[in-house]
Amino acid sequence: MDVLAKNLPYLLSGAVMTLWLSLAVVSLSTLLGFIIGTLGAVGGRTLRALVTAYIFILRGIPVLVVMFLGYYAFPAFGYRANAYVAVGTAQIVYAGAFVAEIVRSAILSVPAGQFAAARGLGMPRGKILMHVVFPQAVRLAIPPLLNTSLTTIKQTSYASVVGAWELTWAAREVVERTLAAFQIFLGVMAIYFCICYPLAALSRWCEGRFVVAH
Amino acid sequence: MDYAAQVTAFLLGQMPKLLAGFAVTLTVAVAAIPLALALGVVLLAPRLSGRRLPSGAVQAYIEVMRGTPLLLQIYLIYFGLPLIGLFPSEFTCGVVGIALQHGAFLCELFRAAIESVSQRQWEAGRAIGMTQLAVFRYAILPQALMKVLGPLGNQVIVLIKDTSLVSAIGVMELTLTGKMVIERSAASFEIFVAVALFYLIVTAAVGAGFRLAEQRYAGRL
Repeated sequence: MDVLAKNLPYLLSGAVMTLWLSLAVVSLSTLLGFIIGTLGAVGGRTLRALVTAYIFILRGIPVLVVMFLGYYAFPAFGYRANAYVAVGTAQIVYAGAFVAEIVRSAILSVPAGQFAAARGLGMPRGKILMHVVFPQAVRLAIPPLLNTSLTTIKQTSYASVVGAWELTWAAREVVERTLAAFQIFLGVMAIYFCICYPLAALSRWCEGRFVVAH
Repeated sequence: MDYAAQVTAFLLGQMPKLLAGFAVTLTVAVAAIPLALALGVVLLAPRLSGRRLPSGAVQAYIEVMRGTPLLLQIYLIYFGLPLIGLFPSEFTCGVVGIALQHGAFLCELFRAAIESVSQRQWEAGRAIGMTQLAVFRYAILPQALMKVLGPLGNQVIVLIKDTSLVSAIGVMELTLTGKMVIERSAASFEIFVAVALFYLIVTAAVGAGFRLAEQRYAGRL
């Protein structure tokens, strides 16, 4: 136990890194996914096809491979980027596909008649989205979005495989030095659990609530 | 030679290695899928038993699996087991790690599918003199299977994608092969596009297979 205690400050600095990475990836991928998902639901035919392709391709590839692609893509196109930017960008693009799929199907689940009715009242497209479609769609989308965020946070640990230092990398360093695999890895799993469990609980709480409301 | 021809020639040259890695990826998936399914089914009985202790234990297990990254679970198995005198191969550690995680998720899927079938059917079956087991076998199970096919297909796809994580403990599967090939070449991005395509082909095929099964099954029911 004192191996864990002695290395806890180091691990916690890794946890802070994980939290920053998670915050950046979850917020930006949610934003990206909202825009792309909305375009995929209400855009023209070409746009909808492009969004479908984006979602299909990204969801069919392991996130680790997407991270490697991101890591090597910057130099391939002549840019120099540090590991965090490369891996973070890859994760945003990846998680964005999952968010887009959730947002698109939530919007499409709002009955088309409502859209027609609002058009009949003379509301412009933007207003219909803001006042009629989104309030209903968001309600449906929140529980699966929380689940996706949870998965995304856990996936930031894969950044350590590609070359960005964070909690999981810190854990491996400490284990290689101390050989205390059980104490350190279980301790780090507990840290991840403390980050993830509140989200999981919130997701369950929402699920019970919003389903009834709709 | 122009760029396209160069890249094509290079990728074709590396194809035997990539195919070998792809075969290992498929082997990991084929080994882990039945294990995960079995674990999901085994955990189902205590989870549904309604008794506080077994049901709570399974629930706690599922929460832990849901709240911690698979990569760490694999590390724990791979670096932890030697400390207690067990020396399984990297392959075994990876397969067991994936199965332990996905078994938990599958148990939740199965439970949700069974509970989504109206509880009245249990009562109705019992009332016409069927045993509990018979109600489950002839009334509940067929409907639950129908409902579980979609989510099950998604979970299997996630599992196949998760096999890429065993590269972190040194199993020479597709992702690690890609990384190794890169270290001896300059076409790093192109190699990973090829690797991604391999994964996309499998996950698309599995997804299509499950959708087809769903349609067939819905037709028979």
